[in-house]
Amino acid sequence: MSFDLNFIGILIGAIMASSVPLILAASGELITERSGVLNLGVEGMMIIGAISGFALMVVTDNLFFAVVGSMLSGLIISLIFGLLTQSLLTNHVATGLALTIFGIGMSAMIGKNFVGIPGKEFPLLFVNLKESIPFLGPVLFGHSIILYFAFGLPFLTNYFLKKTKTGLIIRAVGDSPTSASNQGINVTLVRYSCILYGGAMCGLAGAYLSLIYTPQWIENMTGGRGWIALALVVFATWSPIKVLIGALIFGGITILQLHMQAVGLRIPVQLLSALPYIMTIIVLVVISRDSRKIKLNTPTSLGQIFYKEK
Amino acid sequence: MNTKLKVSEISKIYPGCIANDKVSLEFGSGKIYALLGENGAGKSTLVKILSGVVKPDEGQVFLNDESIKLNSPLDAKKNNIGMVFQHFNLFETLSVFENLSIDSDKKDEELKTLVNDILKKYNFKIDLDIPVLNLSAGQKQKVEIIRCLIRNPKVLIMDEPTSVLTEQETDDLFISLKQFSKDGILIIYITHKLKEVLSLCDEVAVMRKGKVVSVSNTIDEKIESLANKMVGENLNTIKKKINNFKNSEEILKISNLNFKSDDPYETNLNNLNLSLKKGECLGIAGISGNGQNELFQILSGEIITEGTSIMFRNKEIGKLNPRERREYLMAFSPEDRISQAAVPELKIYENVALNNFKSSNFFEKGLVNEKKIKEHSKKILSNFSVNTDNVELKSQFLSGGNLQKLIIGRELITSPELLVCFNPTWGLDVGAINYIHETLVQINEQGKSSILISTDNDELLKLSDRICVIYKGKLSKIMNADTVSAEKLGILMGGGSID
Repeated sequence: MSFDLNFIGILIGAIMASSVPLILAASGELITERSGVLNLGVEGMMIIGAISGFALMVVTDNLFFAVVGSMLSGLIISLIFGLLTQSLLTNHVATGLALTIFGIGMSAMIGKNFVGIPGKEFPLLFVNLKESIPFLGPVLFGHSIILYFAFGLPFLTNYFLKKTKTGLIIRAVGDSPTSASNQGINVTLVRYSCILYGGAMCGLAGAYLSLIYTPQWIENMTGGRGWIALALVVFATWSPIKVLIGALIFGGITILQLHMQAVGLRIPVQLLSALPYIMTIIVLVVISRDSRKIKLNTPTSLGQIFYKEK
Repeated sequence: MNTKLKVSEISKIYPGCIANDKVSLEFGSGKIYALLGENGAGKSTLVKILSGVVKPDEGQVFLNDESIKLNSPLDAKKNNIGMVFQHFNLFETLSVFENLSIDSDKKDEELKTLVNDILKKYNFKIDLDIPVLNLSAGQKQKVEIIRCLIRNPKVLIMDEPTSVLTEQETDDLFISLKQFSKDGILIIYITHKLKEVLSLCDEVAVMRKGKVVSVSNTIDEKIESLANKMVGENLNTIKKKINNFKNSEEILKISNLNFKSDDPYETNLNNLNLSLKKGECLGIAGISGNGQNELFQILSGEIITEGTSIMFRNKEIGKLNPRERREYLMAFSPEDRISQAAVPELKIYENVALNNFKSSNFFEKGLVNEKKIKEHSKKILSNFSVNTDNVELKSQFLSGGNLQKLIIGRELITSPELLVCFNPTWGLDVGAINYIHETLVQINEQGKSSILISTDNDELLKLSDRICVIYKGKLSKIMNADTVSAEKLGILMGGGSID
C-alpha cells in the first residue's frame, strides 16, 4: 500500500512539473491581457526563452545566467511586440501571430549548433526529504526552485491585481484606456510594462523546458504549450487561481493518458491525446460559468489599439 | 476663498474645422456659469482644454490671475480643476471605491472616511463595493462628481450632464450643483438645453462655430433670445394647422394588440386599439419605459405578436417583417440612432444601403451597386440638409442632428405613407430639432400620416393632431390635440385619470 501511495505521490510530482511552463506563461500573459493587450506571441516568446536559456547554459556553463538570460530574451522579443503595437499602433492579433512565427524560426536558426548537446543537471531542493516521507515527499519536495516559484505565482498575481495600487491601475487600463488616460494614467507605459513582464515570464517558461523538464534543445520543443497557455487565460476568465487549476488539469491528464496508453487500454490513441485539451476546456468552462464574474474579470479593451488625443 | 478663472484668446484648429477661435471668458466663484451652444459649437473642445485632455494651439488659461499650464489631466487636477465628462470616464468592471481610489494618493481608510463624509453631506446614496456597471446613469455621474470632490476642487466643469439623466435625477443634480456653488466652488455648466440654463445658471456665454457670441446674465434672457443667439438666425416658429380628418380615409387600424414578454425588463402591452387617418399625426406620450419600446417594435415588425390585427392600407400586415412592411410603404425611425437606426462604423452610403428595397436596385446579382447607392445617398444628404456631401464619411462622425437628418431622410426619400418615429429629437440641439419638426409637419401636409412616440410633451403638443398617453402598457383615450394641455398629459402620464 505504501508503495502505491508513493507511486501516486511521484505521479503527482510529475504532473506538477509538467504544468510549470503553462503556469508561468499563462500568469505572464494574464497580466499582459489584463492591461488590454492581446499578445498571441506566447509560443514564440517561450521558444526563444528555451533556446537562449539552453545556449547560455552551454556557453557560460552557469545556470543562473541561463535562467536570467532566458527571461531577458523573452523580454526583448516582447519589446518588439510592444514597439509595434503600442508605439506604431499595429494590430495586436496580427503582430502576435508574426511574433510566434518569428520566434519559432529564430530559435531553430540559433539552435542548429546546440542540437544533441546534453543538458546540465539543475539543482533540486530538499531531495532527502523527498525520499524519506512517503507520498507527501515526492509531492512537495525534490523540485527545482522554479517550480516553487511557479506555484506561488498565481497567488502572488491574484494578490497583486486585487490588492495593490499598481494592480488596480493595470485593471483600469484594461477596462478603459481612454478613461485611464483622462485620469492622468500613462496608458502606454502601463501596457509596455505588462507586455515586458509577460515576455519575461514566457522566457522563463521556455527555460524551464530546455533546462529542467527535458534538459536539451530540440527544435519546436515547446510543442504548442504557448497556445495552451493562451487558451488557459481565456477559459480561466482571467483569474490567476483558475489558471493554476487549468494548468494542473492539463498537465495531469497529459501524464495520465500517457500511462493509459502504456497500459494498453482499448481507447484510440488519438482520443487519449486529445483528452487533456477537451477536459481542461470543459472543467474551466464549468468552474467559470458565472456570467457576472466573467464580465467583471474580462478586460473590456482587450486587443484594442489605444492612441491619445492630442 | 475666491476663485477666478480666465481663458484668454484660446484657439484650437482641427483639420478642416476651427473648434475654438480666440475664445476669451472670465469666471468667478459663487456663480454657476452656462456655456451654451449647438453640437459642434466648440464647447467640448474648450472644456477639454481646461481639463488638460487637449492642448490649445494658442491662448492661455489664468487661475487667480496666474497663468497655468494644462498639458495633461494631471495638471488640471493639480490646479484643482475637476471635470465630469459627458461620456463617463469610469472603469465599469471596477468597484465604486476602486474607481475613486485609483487617482487618490490617500490611504484606503482615510479615503473611505472622506468619501462617506461627502456621501452624507450631499445626501448621495451609493454602495461603494459594487461594480460601476451595476449603477444607473445618475449614480455613475455621482461617482464622477465624488471623484472630483475628493480633491477639493476650486472649479467644477460639467459637460452636458443631463443628457443621460431622468427628470428626477436632473432635479437632484441641480440641487447638488447649487449646494456646491454655495460652498464656493466655481461651476461651469456646458449644455445645449435652454431650459436648464434659465433654471440653474447665473451667467450664460453662448458659443457658435467656435466663437463666443454673447455673455449675459440669465435674468436678462428668455428661451427665444438664447435660442436665436445659439443658432444665429431667427428660428421659424412652427405652426401646425389643425385639420379635421372626419372625412379622410383611414390608413391604419390596430385592434386588440396584446404583448406578453418573457423578459422582466420589458413592459407587457394590454389591449391596445388605435386608428390613424391619412395625413394625420398621432402623438403617443408617456414616461419612458411604459411600453413605448415594445409598441414601436411591434409597429415596425421587430416583434411579431400572435392574434393582433394590424390593418394598413386595407391589408393585414401583422405577420410581415420590417423589410416587407417597408416595401409596403411604412417607414421607421427608432429611438436609438447609434445602435438601432444606423451602424456607426459604416460609411454614410453603406448605412443608406441597409434600407434597401427591391425596387431600389441597390444590389444586382448579389453584387453591390455602389454607384447607384452613392447617387441615392447624395440625394438624401442634399434634400435633407445634412451638413456634409461626403457619402464616404463614417456615420459615427456625424453629429446627432445630422445623423438623425440622414436617418429620417433615408426613410422619407421613398415617399412612405406612414412614418413611425420614436423620440426623433432626443439629445439634439435647437437647430436640428427645428428642422426635424418642420419635416414632420411637411409630411402631414403632403397627406402622409405619422405616429410620433415621444417623451417630450412640448414636441407632442406642437406636432400632433390627436394625442394619447401610454401608461404601464395601456393606452389612454385618444384626444384631439387642441383640447389637451401639458398638465392633462402630465396627469395621465403619472397614471391619473381626467374627464
